[in-house]
Amino acid sequence: MTARSGLIAALVVAALLAFVPWLASPVLVQFGITTLLLATLAQGWNIIGGYTGYASFGNSVFYGLGSYGTAIAMVQWHLPFGIGLVFGVVLAVAFALLLGLPVLRLRGHYFAIATLALAQVMTAIVSNLPIAGRNVGLVLPLLNGDKLFYELALALLVLATLAVFWLSRSRFGFGLIAIRENEDAAASMGINTTLYKVLAFALAGIFSALAGGIHAYWITFIDPVSAFDISLNVKMIIMAVFGGPGSILGPTIGAFVLSAVSEVLSTEVSSIASLFFGAVVIVAVVFMPRGLSDLVRRIRKAGWSYFSENVKAHRL
Amino acid sequence: MNNTPILEVRDLTRRFGGLVAVNQVNFSLHHGETLGLIGPNGAGKTTLISLISGTTAPSTGDIFFEGVSVKNDSAFRRARRGIGRTFQIMKPFPGLTVLDNVAVDALFGTASSGKSLHTAREEAREWLQLMDLGKRAGQRADELGGPDRKRLELAKAMAMKPRLLLLDEVMAGLNHVEIDEVIDAIKKVRSSGITVLVIEHVIKAIKSLSDRLLVLHHGQQIIEGTPAEVLADPRVIEAYLGRRRA
Amino acid sequence: MHLLLQILANGVLLGGLYALMALGLALVWGVLNIVNLAHGSLIMLGAYSGYYLFTKLGIDPFVALPISMVALFCAGFLIQRNILNLIARAPMFNTLLITFGIDVVLTYLAQMFFSADFRTTNPSYAGDHFNWLGMTLPLVRVLACGIALALTVALWLFLGRTRVGRAIRATAQNLGASRLYGVEPRLIYALTFGLGAALAGAAGDLYGVVSQINPYIGATLTAKSFAIAIIGGLESPLGVVVGGMFLGIVESLTALYVGPTYVDVASFGILVLVLVFRPTGILGATT
Repeated sequence: MTARSGLIAALVVAALLAFVPWLASPVLVQFGITTLLLATLAQGWNIIGGYTGYASFGNSVFYGLGSYGTAIAMVQWHLPFGIGLVFGVVLAVAFALLLGLPVLRLRGHYFAIATLALAQVMTAIVSNLPIAGRNVGLVLPLLNGDKLFYELALALLVLATLAVFWLSRSRFGFGLIAIRENEDAAASMGINTTLYKVLAFALAGIFSALAGGIHAYWITFIDPVSAFDISLNVKMIIMAVFGGPGSILGPTIGAFVLSAVSEVLSTEVSSIASLFFGAVVIVAVVFMPRGLSDLVRRIRKAGWSYFSENVKAHRL
Repeated sequence: MNNTPILEVRDLTRRFGGLVAVNQVNFSLHHGETLGLIGPNGAGKTTLISLISGTTAPSTGDIFFEGVSVKNDSAFRRARRGIGRTFQIMKPFPGLTVLDNVAVDALFGTASSGKSLHTAREEAREWLQLMDLGKRAGQRADELGGPDRKRLELAKAMAMKPRLLLLDEVMAGLNHVEIDEVIDAIKKVRSSGITVLVIEHVIKAIKSLSDRLLVLHHGQQIIEGTPAEVLADPRVIEAYLGRRRA
Repeated sequence: MHLLLQILANGVLLGGLYALMALGLALVWGVLNIVNLAHGSLIMLGAYSGYYLFTKLGIDPFVALPISMVALFCAGFLIQRNILNLIARAPMFNTLLITFGIDVVLTYLAQMFFSADFRTTNPSYAGDHFNWLGMTLPLVRVLACGIALALTVALWLFLGRTRVGRAIRATAQNLGASRLYGVEPRLIYALTFGLGAALAGAAGDLYGVVSQINPYIGATLTAKSFAIAIIGGLESPLGVVVGGMFLGIVESLTALYVGPTYVDVASFGILVLVLVFRPTGILGATT
C-alpha cells in the first residue's frame, strides 16, 4: 500500500467518522473527542520525536499554553474562541522559539529531562500568575454541543495528519529525517539543523496548542495541574511509539487502538486506564520497540520469533 | 581559473583540554588537485578534516575556502559553500532507499534552493548510475554490502555538488578488488572537476590517487611532497614503523 | 541576619535529605546508564513502607529504616532482573519509556492499595526541636539529614573499598572486560539497581517523617532528584551532596524571599539552566 493510497483510505475513514456524533451515544462522542485530541498530540510528538529524533517528554507544555491562551483570551479579554486559539498558538510558538533554541542543543536523554523540567517550570509559573487565575484556574464560557467539539477535534487531527504526510515528502521533512539519522552528517550536507529542529518543535507545538485550546473550551474549566497534565506526555509518546514513530498514520492508529482498549478495560475495572498504559508501555518496549508499523511489516516473514528476536537483541 | 587556492589552512590548531590534536598545520590545495593525508592512528587526521568541514571549531588559526575565511561558518554553511565530506563511521539513512539517501544530499547541497523532491530524485538516479549503483536504487540502504556502501557514500557526497570533497578513510575494511573499484569511483569524482582531500591508510590507494601527500604525526605536519618523495622519507617510515633498529 | 542563618540551616537540613533522594538515581545513572524515571515512585514506596511499619507495627521510622531499605532493595532487584535487563542494550529512549511505564504502574498500585489520602509518619517526637546558635532546628530534620549524610558516606566507602563495590564500578567502566573477571553482569546490574532502590527507600522513609505523602509525589520527586543529580554532577556521591545542599538552600531562600509557590520555578528553572550551560554539573569536568 503506497503512502498516497493509505492517505486516501484514511481520509475516507475520517469522512465516515464525521458522522459518528449523529449515530452514537453521548458517552461515545465524548470518548471520541478525547481520543481525537490525544491522537493529535501523538502526531505532534511524531513531528519532533518520530521524524526529527528529539524525544520530547514535555510536549504537555504546548497543550497547557494552548489551553491557557484560549482561556485567558476568552475569560479575561472577552475575545471569541477563534482568536483565543490563535493566541494559544502564538504562546506555543513563542515558547518553542525562545526555549527550544537552547534546549534543542541537548542530545538524547538530556533533552528529554530538560523538556520534562520545562513542563514543571511552566506549571509552577502559571500557577502563580493572576491573569491565569493562579492555582484556582479559569472557568470558560459554556458552549453546549459536543458535536461541534467532536468535528473540531476531527478536523484538527486530519490537519495534523496531512501535515505529517506533507513532511514525509517535502524537503523539510527529509531534512528532519537526516537530522534524526545522523545530525553531524546532516549539517555537513548543508542542512541548517538548528533552524529545522526549532521549526519542527514549533510545528509540534502548534498542533498541541490547538488541541489544548479545543479541550479547554470543551471542558469549560482549567487549572495548572490539569492543563499541563504530565501524564499526557506518557500517553502521547506511547501512542506514537506503539503505532510507529516516523510514520504517517502510525500515531493515529496507536492512539485509536490504545484508547479503545483502555476504555474497554475501564468499564470492566474502573480507573484501570493508568495501569493499562503503564503495562502496555513496558510490554511494548520489550517486545515491539519499533512500533506497530514495524511489526506489521516484519511479522509476515518472521512470525512469532519477531518478538523473541527483539528481546534477544537487546537483553543483557 | 584563477590562482587562488581552493583551500588554504593557516596555523591551524585544535586543543582538547591538555591534548593538542592538531598543531600549527599549514598547507594549500589548488583546484583539481588531490591531496593525500596520511599518518599513524591518532595523528589528528580526522580532527583536521572536521576542522575543515566545520564539525569542529579551531582553537587558533584560520581556514580559507576559495579565498574567503570560513573559520566562523557552521558546518552546514560550509557545506552550502561547497565543502563536502564523508564520515569515518558511515551511516547511510538506513530506513530510506538507496535512491532517497542520495536524493537527500541533492536536496541540500550547493545548488539546492527551491529544489523539489522529484528533481532531487532524478539527479540522484544519475549519480547512482555514475557509481554503478543504478540497479540498487530501490533497495533499503542498510541492505547494501561493504563496497556498495562506500559507493553510496561517494554518490551522496557527489550529489551535493561540492567543489572540495573530504574523504575520510573510505577504503577501510575493503579487500583488494573492492579497493580498486572504489579507486575508480574516486577517479570519476575527480574527473568531474572536484578537488579531493583523501585520508587513507591503504598505500596503494594513496599512491594512485594523490598528486601530493601530507604527513601528520602527533598533530603536526612532518613532511609534504609527491608520493614518491614522501613515502621514501625516513621520518615517515619512522612515524609508521618506529625507529629503525640499528 | 538571624533569619538568614535560620533559612540557611533549613536549606542545609533539607539538602541532606535531598542528597539521599538523588543518590540512588545518580548511582543507577552513572553505573548502569539507566535514566530511571520511576525513581520518585520508589521514594514514594519507601515513604509508605515507613508509614505502615509505624502505624501498623509501631516501629519507629528511624528504626524501620533498614527494613524499608531491604524491602525496596528486593523490589529494585526484581525490577532490574526481570524487566530492565531485557532492554539493557536497547537505545536509551527505550529505557526512558519503560521506566516511565513502571512509574505509572507503581503510582497506580500505590493509589489502589494505599488510597490517595495525604499521610505523615508521626512519631511522638515529631514536633520536638532544639535550639542552637539562635536557630530552631526540628529534631526529625536533623536526624534525617544526619542519617542521609551517613548513608552517602557509606555508599562512597562501599563503592571504593569493598569487593562488590569495585565489581560494580568495573562493570560500569567496561561490561565486556568485567565478564572476563568472573563478574556476572546480570547479577551486578540487579544488585546495583536494587542498591539504588534501597537508597530511594531510605530517603522515602525519612521523607515521610518530615513531609506529607500520597501516591502522586513520585513525579515531582523524580524531577527534583534529576535536578540535584545534574546540578551536582554525576561523578561521585560528593557531587550529589553538593547538588542537594545547593538545591535545599536555593529552595529555602526562594520560599522566604520570593514566595513558597515559586519554589518549583526556582529548582526546575535552575535545572534547565544547568542543562543548557553546564550539563556536567557544578563539580563535573568541563569538556
